[in-house]
Amino acid sequence: MLQESHTGQPPRLSIAITGSGGSGAVTTGSILLAAVARAGFYGLMTRSAGPQIRGGESAAMVRFGPTPVNAMDDRFDILVALDWLNISRFLDEIPLDGSSLILTDPAGGAVPPAILASGAQVVALPLKAMADAVAGGRLNMAALGAAGAMAGLPLAALEIEARATLGKKSASVADAAVACLQAGYAAAPGKPLVEIPGTERWNMSGNEASGLGALRGGIRFVAAYPITPATEMLEWLAPRLEKVGGGLLQAEDELASVNMIIGGSFGGVPSLTATSGPGLSLMMEGLGLAVASETPIVVANVMRGGPSTGIPTKSEQSDLNIALYGFHGDAPHLVLAATDIRDCVFTTQWAVRLAEHLQTVAIVLTDQALGQSRTICPPPAHFPEALPRLVAEVGDEPYRRYTLTESGVSPMALPGQAGGMYTADGLEHNPRGTPSSMAKDHLAQSEKRQRKLTDFDYGHYWAEISGAGPIALVTWGSATGAVVEAAERLTAAGQPTRAIALRLIAPLRHADLAQALAGAEAILVVEQNQGAQLFHYLHAEQALPAGARSLARPGPLPLRPGDIAAAALARPAASPNQEH
Amino acid sequence: MSNHQPASIATIPEFLAHALELEYESAERYRELAGNLAVHNNPEIAELFDYLSRMSDLHAQEVEARAQGIVLPQIPPWDFKWAAGGSPEANAAAQDDDLNYLMTPIQALHLALHNEIRGRDFYAQVAAGSPDAEVRQLAAEMVEEENEHAALLEDRLAKIDPTRAEPVEDLDPPNMPE
Amino acid sequence: MEAATSTPALKAKDYKSDINPIWCPGCGDFGVLAAMSKAAAYLQLPKERLAMVSGIGCSSRLPAYIDSYGFHGIHGRSLAIAAGLKAARPDLTVVVSGGDGDGFSIGGNHFLHACRRNMDLTYIVMDNEVYGMTKGQASPTTQPDWTRSKLTPRGTGVRRFQPTALALAAGASFIARGFTGDPSDLTRLIVQAIQHPGFAFLHVLSPCQTYQPEQKDWKHLVHPNAAEATDDPVEAARRIQMDDGMSLGLLYAQELPSWQPPHLSSATLPEIEAEFQL
Repeated sequence: MLQESHTGQPPRLSIAITGSGGSGAVTTGSILLAAVARAGFYGLMTRSAGPQIRGGESAAMVRFGPTPVNAMDDRFDILVALDWLNISRFLDEIPLDGSSLILTDPAGGAVPPAILASGAQVVALPLKAMADAVAGGRLNMAALGAAGAMAGLPLAALEIEARATLGKKSASVADAAVACLQAGYAAAPGKPLVEIPGTERWNMSGNEASGLGALRGGIRFVAAYPITPATEMLEWLAPRLEKVGGGLLQAEDELASVNMIIGGSFGGVPSLTATSGPGLSLMMEGLGLAVASETPIVVANVMRGGPSTGIPTKSEQSDLNIALYGFHGDAPHLVLAATDIRDCVFTTQWAVRLAEHLQTVAIVLTDQALGQSRTICPPPAHFPEALPRLVAEVGDEPYRRYTLTESGVSPMALPGQAGGMYTADGLEHNPRGTPSSMAKDHLAQSEKRQRKLTDFDYGHYWAEISGAGPIALVTWGSATGAVVEAAERLTAAGQPTRAIALRLIAPLRHADLAQALAGAEAILVVEQNQGAQLFHYLHAEQALPAGARSLARPGPLPLRPGDIAAAALARPAASPNQEH
Repeated sequence: MSNHQPASIATIPEFLAHALELEYESAERYRELAGNLAVHNNPEIAELFDYLSRMSDLHAQEVEARAQGIVLPQIPPWDFKWAAGGSPEANAAAQDDDLNYLMTPIQALHLALHNEIRGRDFYAQVAAGSPDAEVRQLAAEMVEEENEHAALLEDRLAKIDPTRAEPVEDLDPPNMPE
Repeated sequence: MEAATSTPALKAKDYKSDINPIWCPGCGDFGVLAAMSKAAAYLQLPKERLAMVSGIGCSSRLPAYIDSYGFHGIHGRSLAIAAGLKAARPDLTVVVSGGDGDGFSIGGNHFLHACRRNMDLTYIVMDNEVYGMTKGQASPTTQPDWTRSKLTPRGTGVRRFQPTALALAAGASFIARGFTGDPSDLTRLIVQAIQHPGFAFLHVLSPCQTYQPEQKDWKHLVHPNAAEATDDPVEAARRIQMDDGMSLGLLYAQELPSWQPPHLSSATLPEIEAEFQL
């Protein structure tokens, strides 16, 4: 049933698996994604969970096809309901329609009316009985077999990946799982897909991708405090940093972690921390110190629903304001955003290089929808330039740590270099580094800290631009996938549309953005937050014409391509989305 | 706390090492005070302490000259045989009562005089008690020199207007730099 | 302790920078500057491998006055900066300095965790029982009935923070107290602290002439520890409970495991990347 459902789009299939605690929805989804990959396809898996440590409801959403997938669809083709407990919590997140199928076991209870109201067809199978027939059998594996058959996936791919995942527990667990898979597969209607000869592809989560980008960029010291949904990045990094000669320090809090990486970087070792909104708030004082002392550091901020503890397990793009404006004082710094899971590698690597080269703070924004989602994607691109930290060549001249240079970047001495000794300071200072409250020093140093960022040539990496046409969709971060898909659909439907996803949000590349927007007759800024944070930023920077519109909606519901396309076409006066 | 007996100094190299340390410390302490009073915009006293530091530098050079060709022991800072606390002419605890950013020349000279007397007392203890006759004799010479230094300071003191014994009232409250 | 050797290459004054301290004349912190420079000279620390790290406050100005690498960071976070620096650069001698407000109030949590992490750092807290830089407010070590701050006109009414007790409870492996009025012994304590393989906490009584003039009497109140240092935490706890806060010297020292990243270098990046390839 892999088929083209949107004009001009490659065929894709969307499957949601839901269940209450213990039912194994996420494990099922992971095996499904791996099987998709084994069959030669590309795919994306997002997750949604309740707040419980164990036993909570959870859902895994998988979309796959013959080309890379960077967004969830407007709707799902198949809902695999392992049970109906707490399904109401996912109603909004799993849209179904008349051509959707619901795979369920009547023994597990009747399909709730709210689900049936979508018009979806029910495929009833005795999943529990199939599982019970196998010693140690589990319902989720029978359901996976059936769903795999309905999706047209080869049984062998499912079997291999089930064994790869569950064989770690024990051979008997894997055997039981495969038996259930086979029973489910045999019972379900489906037409096998033609397998695609596998091109080189990777299977990675956004948090893993960010971790890899950090290593590629040269990060060798990380200090951090655990926080959802950033922790997996740290867990991925901890053993691997050590393997490449670095280390990770679990700090007592975020106040410590940001200052620890300032210390590490002062020592000459590229350093990073990862956190999420509330942690970023705690780091602000330290980030000011890094800016003032021109100590390069990178903060990977994996956004979640906010403010406060908010919705830690679900996604939202609402930390842009704090990333841009949270600092005290005039504190020029970099704000970058990865456009998809694969791009987490590239953007984080670039951010590290930029922070090192420009001796500043780089905040890399991703979110739960990227960080905790998993993709089957082409191998991620490398940022091709070295952009090293400028290390001072100390000689007979007295070393001046903050000497005024044409680029604004002052070569940095590293401990161990005789003749380069200086005291880094959060106090304003003169070019030598001696604290100074003189107006002329503050003026000169403020100007250099700004100039080194605004005058740097960032090349074409500042944005991902696709398509062409009088409609321009401007976005950032995890909304990019849906925005690009919306642009493709609009273009295919006779409404040529371009998509501009900002990778470097601050400093804003005014001229580049103006060029990218040239000739646009309708501009829609798309983002997943209540306050239209990017839209307001772009207006504050005078980067948008007066008629530009905003599509801004808080999480955790993902932005759907269809919604975006509809908003793009809506007449301004009639648009419900025209909030601004 | 360090409390060693100056009288137990038994060799010329050991004695010279103490004398050198005493003068180095004294010079360093005066330099620090000079810089500190300059920072606090009391140039008159800064200049006086600067003068005193140069005087101590000269004394150190005299001791260095005497030590020419002699290998001196390297004594850890806490093993010098000062009577108590620290180097006699640079003892912060003994001085801090008088230090004030508005301090007057009379106060500064009294402080210096106090140091010289402490230095002299140190040498006097060695001169009286060292088991080595040569050390006793050298120490006695140093007592004389310290007496001369003290006399110089007393001369200077006598020339200053005695109404400037106490600092003027401080009309400016402390600053809040950070 | 004496050895007939040639004059050391670096003298104490060589470790002082050419910046004049902004401390008030008579400030106890001058004694720490003197003792630190003497200790560095005694150990002949290569200046470029010495890093002085501090937070904010009068005593936190110390790094600028030592001719070495330094980081004058933000209030309360010196131990965090130092931990990161040491983790990244274990080859450096890292000495952290600060005051009672910086270390025990705003930086209190970092103090606890620095003690238990036991990284090879020296932490010198110059305690004058007052916030000097912000014009004389009560600190965690201020007497509860001290009424001279407008912020606490009836005194804090809060019992004093016990730095040595907290350090011991948090797992510090070296605890000592010095006094700026006794620079020779202070120098010895700094040397011992730097030589200690782990987190060395050195509590230094450093009088504030400006806001706590009564501290001029400290020189009459301090006294040496009644006994030699112990390596028994139970005995150390007993002594701390009996301490009047004015006893000087090394109280407790023990070798305990010290945290430091292993820096394995056992894999290449392409090997790590291979785990993602299908």
